[in-house]
Amino acid sequence: MAFDTGRSPAIQITQRQRWSIALSYLLIAIGLALGLNQRDASLNLSSVYRNVEAGITASYPARWLLDESGDYVFRARDMSHRGYQTLIELRTLPVGPDSAERNILDHLSLQRAQVLVDYTVLGYDTYRLPDETWAISMSYSFVARDSSPFLEGVSSIVNGLDILTLRRGQALIITFRADSSIYRRELETLRWFIQNLEF
Amino acid sequence: MALNLSSQASSEGEDSYAVLPVWRRVAFQVLLLAAVLGAIVVASQILQPRIAAGVGRALSLALAPLPLLLWLLVSVWPEYRASRPRRRLIGVAVLSGLTAAALGLPLIEDFFRIELWLPLAAVFQRIIGYTLTAGMLDVGLKFLVLRHLIYPEALRHRSDAIAYAFASAVGYSFYLNLVYVWRVEPAPEFAAIVVLTNVAVQLASSLFIALGIVESYFSDAMPLVLPINLFVAALTTGLIAPTVSGLMSGPLGIAGSADRPLFALLMLLATLLVTLGIVYFLYSNSERREREAYRSRGVNDGI
Repeated sequence: MAFDTGRSPAIQITQRQRWSIALSYLLIAIGLALGLNQRDASLNLSSVYRNVEAGITASYPARWLLDESGDYVFRARDMSHRGYQTLIELRTLPVGPDSAERNILDHLSLQRAQVLVDYTVLGYDTYRLPDETWAISMSYSFVARDSSPFLEGVSSIVNGLDILTLRRGQALIITFRADSSIYRRELETLRWFIQNLEF
Repeated sequence: MALNLSSQASSEGEDSYAVLPVWRRVAFQVLLLAAVLGAIVVASQILQPRIAAGVGRALSLALAPLPLLLWLLVSVWPEYRASRPRRRLIGVAVLSGLTAAALGLPLIEDFFRIELWLPLAAVFQRIIGYTLTAGMLDVGLKFLVLRHLIYPEALRHRSDAIAYAFASAVGYSFYLNLVYVWRVEPAPEFAAIVVLTNVAVQLASSLFIALGIVESYFSDAMPLVLPINLFVAALTTGLIAPTVSGLMSGPLGIAGSADRPLFALLMLLATLLVTLGIVYFLYSNSERREREAYRSRGVNDGI
């Protein structure tokens, strides 16, 4: 059954074999580049959300789950992520002419401190919006636990960022939350979201 | 040399010139592995035993190195008694495992991030996606290892390519098995399915890589033959990986979705048998053609 060509170990590979190896490397490089392209196309695929009543048009990642049932305009969550699922939430609040942005953020903090475990405000800053105006931002953290007590999941530390701007007698609050281990990476999604937000 | 070759070419048994036969050993290992892992899956489904968490974890951890241990026992150990041993088997397996640890898994998880987008894609996109990411990466890394460790210095016989490719599959899948079992701590039946899946995926792709190397080196085939084989090797990953995970998950109902490990087991057994059958057929066919070509040229062809 077996058949030994008896080639010497010292034999050199032929020109045809050299071409064959070079083409193999080329195929692998092209294949991986196409895979990268497919990854980018899938990850960057977006859907458009429009709410005429609130005057908001926003793009969000197509693979995220959209929810409009809460006391917010909309909320999009990355359900594919294990552990705490990254979310972007948009809400509007009516405000008076003398309302200060900081007061609204403090009010939010007071509310959250009662429902979120170990809620801590990390600091305040400013955030430059795409239309060159400045918004105020508040970063915070808290501990998220599994909603079901029967799931033996480990709690995760969540980092959050609120970006608040006042326009036309309304406060627009963009809330972004992600697991602290992927927070920095996921911030790119928030920047992209704000870049495409029309309010 | 030419006379010696002639006598070798006419012999029917690989043992006759002291190169250990490969196909029987590969088939034996694959079947034994499938039988052991399949028995665990079937027993768990029929008997549904209550296993303590610690015992279950220990059993799952013990399954991860099972293919490696079988390979050491059945393929590597006998080489030490052969007069013409394949000396680089362990080197190929170790380096393949190290490339999986250093490049393969980190690139798949952190760079391609396939868990984020591939499981949600449509079937055709999933097959293409797995082929172009996990498939190409695995095949590329294993081909690099084989190219630089065995091609052409360690290739004396066609079966050498199969033996070394099998070593790379065992080494590569060992790391993937270990990481999965360590991280996820699955029940033994799920660990068995994952171990068999990883072995099937890596074995299928490695055998097609070996086929490409055999055709390229021993038959001096057209330059496109090796790349085409590498593409087919990557495609096997694209076909097997999403199909098994799809079969594992049952239909979604009110009570959630139940896993169906028996479906996955049957699919894996069929995959292993079909892959071995196809590659063996192509390998034998190629060997027969070359033997006939040598005979038609006679012994005075200068080789």
